[in-house]
Amino acid sequence: MASETDYVTLISKDGFSYVVQRSSARISPVLKRMLDPTGAFLEAKDNTCILQDMPGIVLEKVCEYFYYNEKNKDARDVPEMDIPTELCLELLMASDYLDI
Amino acid sequence: MSGRRGGNRIRGPQSALTDFLAANNISAAQIRDDYERRRQQAEQDAADAGEGPSNQTPEQNDDEALAAAAQAEEAEKKTKKRKRTEKDAIDKIKNAKATKKGKGKKKGKKDEEDDEDGDDDADYDDDFGMYKKARPAPGQFEHCDICNKRFTVTPYSKEGPDGGLLCTPCGKELSKDVKKEQKAATKSAGTGRKRRKVESDRLDGIAVGGAKSLSQLCIQKVAQHHDDIEELGDLPPSVLERLSEIFSKKRVMKSKTLPLFLRPDLDSVIVHDAAYLEEEDYRQIFAIVPNVRKLVLSNTCQLKDGAIDYMLERCHDLRHIQLYAANLVSEGMWHRVFREAGGKLECLKLSWLDAAFEDLVVQDMVKYCPKLERLKLKLCRRLGEDAVTSISDLPELKHLSLQISQNVSTPVLVNLVEKRGSGLQTLSLEKFIDADDSVVGAIHDNCIQLSKLRLSENDTVTDAGYTALFTDWDNPPLKFADFNSTRDIDNNNSGGPEDAIGLASSGFRALMEHSGASLRHLHIASCRHIELSAFMDVFNGAQNYPALEYINMSFCNRADTSVVAGIFKSCPALKQLVAFGCFDVQDVVVPRNVALIGVPRAQDAIEQFGIGIGVDEAISRMVEVTT
Repeated sequence: MASETDYVTLISKDGFSYVVQRSSARISPVLKRMLDPTGAFLEAKDNTCILQDMPGIVLEKVCEYFYYNEKNKDARDVPEMDIPTELCLELLMASDYLDI
Repeated sequence: MSGRRGGNRIRGPQSALTDFLAANNISAAQIRDDYERRRQQAEQDAADAGEGPSNQTPEQNDDEALAAAAQAEEAEKKTKKRKRTEKDAIDKIKNAKATKKGKGKKKGKKDEEDDEDGDDDADYDDDFGMYKKARPAPGQFEHCDICNKRFTVTPYSKEGPDGGLLCTPCGKELSKDVKKEQKAATKSAGTGRKRRKVESDRLDGIAVGGAKSLSQLCIQKVAQHHDDIEELGDLPPSVLERLSEIFSKKRVMKSKTLPLFLRPDLDSVIVHDAAYLEEEDYRQIFAIVPNVRKLVLSNTCQLKDGAIDYMLERCHDLRHIQLYAANLVSEGMWHRVFREAGGKLECLKLSWLDAAFEDLVVQDMVKYCPKLERLKLKLCRRLGEDAVTSISDLPELKHLSLQISQNVSTPVLVNLVEKRGSGLQTLSLEKFIDADDSVVGAIHDNCIQLSKLRLSENDTVTDAGYTALFTDWDNPPLKFADFNSTRDIDNNNSGGPEDAIGLASSGFRALMEHSGASLRHLHIASCRHIELSAFMDVFNGAQNYPALEYINMSFCNRADTSVVAGIFKSCPALKQLVAFGCFDVQDVVVPRNVALIGVPRAQDAIEQFGIGIGVDEAISRMVEVTT
């Protein structure tokens, strides 16, 4: 079962699931460790991370950031991603947790 | 047509429903009229069954004719490709409509006859598109293309994305969006000011290319809206600290925002700009966070004895005190601080004290703070030699950083190093101008567990002294080495004396030989007697410095482009290379993830940043340029 798929699933606390590219999710060192096939985590087995602390709306933004980050990896003068004001504290907690 | 129109017409009483409908642009009268008309039409259609339901109003006929006219123009290309150009054709028709209106009818009829044989399909499509896009005249009712509400068409009604008309609110929304997009477009094009900001961020080390981290983005946003935040919630202390730094930087750390950073469960209060805080605010800090262990207050220009007194009364667990410019605290109060809170104190950092804090206070500090492990005293104007002598009696001292404005003689420093050297893990001696080889010798003989060493702004220690320090030194390799501005200063002899003073070629070689394996931070700015050959030997590409992340070699004017190339090759972990005033460094191609700062080239950015090229490629490009 521990095969490395191209996509992984992230599930929020309220049950929304997001399928994102593995390469993007690995931007977060935390998810990277979770999904490492050589590790013994359950997450790596079924390629799914359940993020108990994150509501779907925050996780959606996080996924957006993953792609934004991957897209702008080598660019300079990157335009900043828009972050909704009402979400920014929650998002800050999430980013701290995910170390991104 | 509707009752609403007759502004000053006398009307009878209206039902609530009629009012409601009228408010939503629906007229009961019109619905009735429409219904009548449709019914009549249906009856009429039933009567002359020959025509069938395709019967069209004269206006539509006109449209069809026009479409057909365009059709004729394109009649020769009846290929599939045509379908793609259909949209263009429709637009053309629209443009043509106005001009052709007069004669169009006549010509159209003729063309229509031409067209009757075949190609009905495309014809129909065109007609359909045409019909859809016909703009109703002002005053007519229309359904909004976005929200599907009915509204009265005006000459100013906006066209929606699908070609239909929009009601006023939707139209406004749309134009707002368009404006936003335009703004964003001009922004991303990059105005001068924004570019400057980006460069400034880079110099601050905030942005090192690529996307910013999400927490950075969020923190920025939070700082932007500092006025609207009521509570920060359970943010982890590290994030809180970062936020506090940003708030301080933006100078918004005031009475109103301070409480955001005070939580009874925290054991640290970190405010890097307390300039706006007054007596009451300081009291609030100690009242809300009595368990504070780590207290960092900078720019404390309004911190007075009263607040300190309250602190001593409330907070009994202080381990770490860091104050900057606390000039209203009196001599007597400093004595009290150490007598009452000294027992637990492990870390003390004080800087820019002008008015009080004398040698006697330091004596008291040494006496009452036996646990002190980390001490930093910088730019405390009243401190002198005696303070240094006292400090040498601190038993637990592990980290020491001193910058004393008054002259301190060499024997005192040697005594300090001899007494404390064996326990020290970090040592920073800034601007001890008179320190000579004997101090460096004492470091060599006594310090055996230093990881950070700074000896800066000195023009007495010789190159031979540094070489001796790093040769056969029992100390493990340093992680942090700062020898900036150690050089001979003689305006009449810029080349320096025969036997070099300051960290020069052989000292530099010895340093890298000793510490290269784990050195992370190397600061050798203004060590201007390091020769090119020494740089070439140290950074020759074959040597590898796996940990080196930061190098500052500003004003080492012998360094040239090949040295920079060598650095890129020898330091795989390099993040930042600062090279102001190295005028021989030119045409550098910077590899990925490295920031090169300060290389002169007026028209270019101050800082150059590698975009997606590896070290080898960068170097090969550089070679191309130079040959």
